Amino acid sequence: MKKFVLIMTALVLFCACERKASNEFIVGVQAPITGKYASEGQGMSNAVKLLAKQQNDAGGLNGATVKVITCDDEGTPQKASICAKKLVNDGAKVVIGSYTSTATEASQAIYANANVIQTSDATAASLTKNNYKTYFRASFNDDIEGEFTANYFVNYKKYQRIAVISDYSSFAAGLAEAAVKNIKILGGNVVYDGKIDAGAQDFKAVLTSIKALNPDVIYFSGYYTESGLLRTQQMQLDIKADYVGGNATDNPDFIKIAGEKNAIGSFLIGLPLPEQLDYPEARKFNADYLTEFKTPVPSIWVVINADGLRVVFEAMKQVKSNDTIKAIEYIKGTMKDFPGLTGPITIQANGERVGSIYQVNVIGSDLKYQPVYNDAMANKQ
Amino acid sequence: METFFQQLINGLTYGSLLGFIALGYTMVYGILKLINFAHGDMVTLAAFLAITIVPFVAMMGTVGTILTIAAVVAIACFVAVLLEKIAYKPLRAAPRLSLIVSALGAGMVIKNAIMLIWGANPRIFPSDIFPAGLAKISSVSISYLSIIILLLNIFVMVALFLFINKTRIGIAIKALSIDYSTAELMGVNVNHTVMVVFLIGGGVGALGGMLIGASYVTVPFDMGFDYGLKAFIAAILGGIGSIPGAMFGGMLLGLTHTFCSGYISSTWANAFTYLLLIIMLIFRPNGLFGQKLVQKV
Repeated sequence: MKKFVLIMTALVLFCACERKASNEFIVGVQAPITGKYASEGQGMSNAVKLLAKQQNDAGGLNGATVKVITCDDEGTPQKASICAKKLVNDGAKVVIGSYTSTATEASQAIYANANVIQTSDATAASLTKNNYKTYFRASFNDDIEGEFTANYFVNYKKYQRIAVISDYSSFAAGLAEAAVKNIKILGGNVVYDGKIDAGAQDFKAVLTSIKALNPDVIYFSGYYTESGLLRTQQMQLDIKADYVGGNATDNPDFIKIAGEKNAIGSFLIGLPLPEQLDYPEARKFNADYLTEFKTPVPSIWVVINADGLRVVFEAMKQVKSNDTIKAIEYIKGTMKDFPGLTGPITIQANGERVGSIYQVNVIGSDLKYQPVYNDAMANKQ
Repeated sequence: METFFQQLINGLTYGSLLGFIALGYTMVYGILKLINFAHGDMVTLAAFLAITIVPFVAMMGTVGTILTIAAVVAIACFVAVLLEKIAYKPLRAAPRLSLIVSALGAGMVIKNAIMLIWGANPRIFPSDIFPAGLAKISSVSISYLSIIILLLNIFVMVALFLFINKTRIGIAIKALSIDYSTAELMGVNVNHTVMVVFLIGGGVGALGGMLIGASYVTVPFDMGFDYGLKAFIAAILGGIGSIPGAMFGGMLLGLTHTFCSGYISSTWANAFTYLLLIIMLIFRPNGLFGQKLVQKV
């Protein structure tokens, strides 16, 4: 018994010492490191590690060393809540993630209860509806993209027959709903509005029904894996309609999955590519990422997540404390036009970012994105 | 009407893919009364093998395609036989339940091995192995790949039908499936026959795996479960143990799935598929081509 008490005391002391000795600031990454969205998740994790390293090289964050802990949520809500609990237990103060809206939504309450700041690239409008005090995002919500999409279809392209496909994820469904609502407001004609089963591979049945409706355009609001397959199968069924993918189609793997020949001529609505960002901070980030990981930044989502972390670092520097409550109050109240990688960032009290940087790209015959339409052109009309 | 024909082709293509896999289930069940749950993962393995082999032979054109198919089928046959030797043969006298657990375990081993070797990310199936492009009949289009799938399906079915009914080893398979112990007493070489069955199941499954990869481009390491389950249902629909049954069961399932997706709702397609299975089991418990089993005491 004596021995046991001794060991326990030693253990408790040891634990206490370790906590005190390490002046660490822990940044959690909750991202899909494996599975369908692995390239995004790994990019997020890399970007956070890069920013942490740069922060440490510059003397740390208010004297603390930044340490990164990554948890793989595979983009699913089930794994997301497990990750959230794990990261909170590991002492994370800030969490970047997750990539999908569904996984982000499943983890929000856990972080909010633990006063952990959470920022993500997720765009589902529902994410800010609950008013979690610790959540903010450097991305733009689906309602804004829906409005942009509707405007492009109805006013710019003057499509007469619009087919809208989504899946059951909260992201894709929300975006499609916003697009359809806005198309109808602008007087457009939606001939098909349906959902596919994400994770399935054969969408020919749905596409064949759509073919019979003679659409001018097929719009898909879901992720790049299904989007690539839809585009291939559209071509296999010889459906002569423009193919437009929402912002989650915006991934290099879209071209690989659709096949180069099929990908050419597809339109992608989204944010600019990382290399299209014309800000000195962005150019430096792209270059540093390339040097560190020997591969270019995989997508704009990675940059947006990086922006989220940069905002948190900036806030903590400004309030001269690593206190999460003070930092989030600064982010949502005081900060204005912080020079982000994706342009000036101002966060509203509900955690939403002000403005939008959407654009439409077409995949050219050289497989490069060519911007064909953006907000500036929309405003001119 | 064109939409109907297009859906018909979509359904037949999808159904044929399931048929290739269903064949493996049905043949093994016919003899060993074992549901080989590792079969779906064997199919996935074939797709990954093709992904690895293609870059080495891509420059050879058609010869490369034939080489790839031959190599993948050969390796898959070998693994299938190995699987039988390691996981099933030692348990042949054991209760059926032990065999099923062994099959589930073997499936997990193969699935995880695939994940460890090729990684957890879905891989892109090379597009240069099967011809691209499509044929058109008025406004109904059918890709060359679909034509290949449909023709191969018919070819495999006919070839196997002839093999089972016209060759010595085929008749041995039939005899074993009708009455295992009597056939054994009559001098049928059980080990040899069972090996041939696994060889055929593995080979045809590998063909299916490659064609699925080529059709749907992305190959996730865990796709074996979904395709395996659907193919297993196809085998039951067709009458488990029957070779034409597996192929027609696949077609029936593919058509149900496609027509439900097209005319009702893609999210109801799975529900209707299982509904079909339930109805079939109520009215024809032995499936489309299944023989009525008389339990002799």
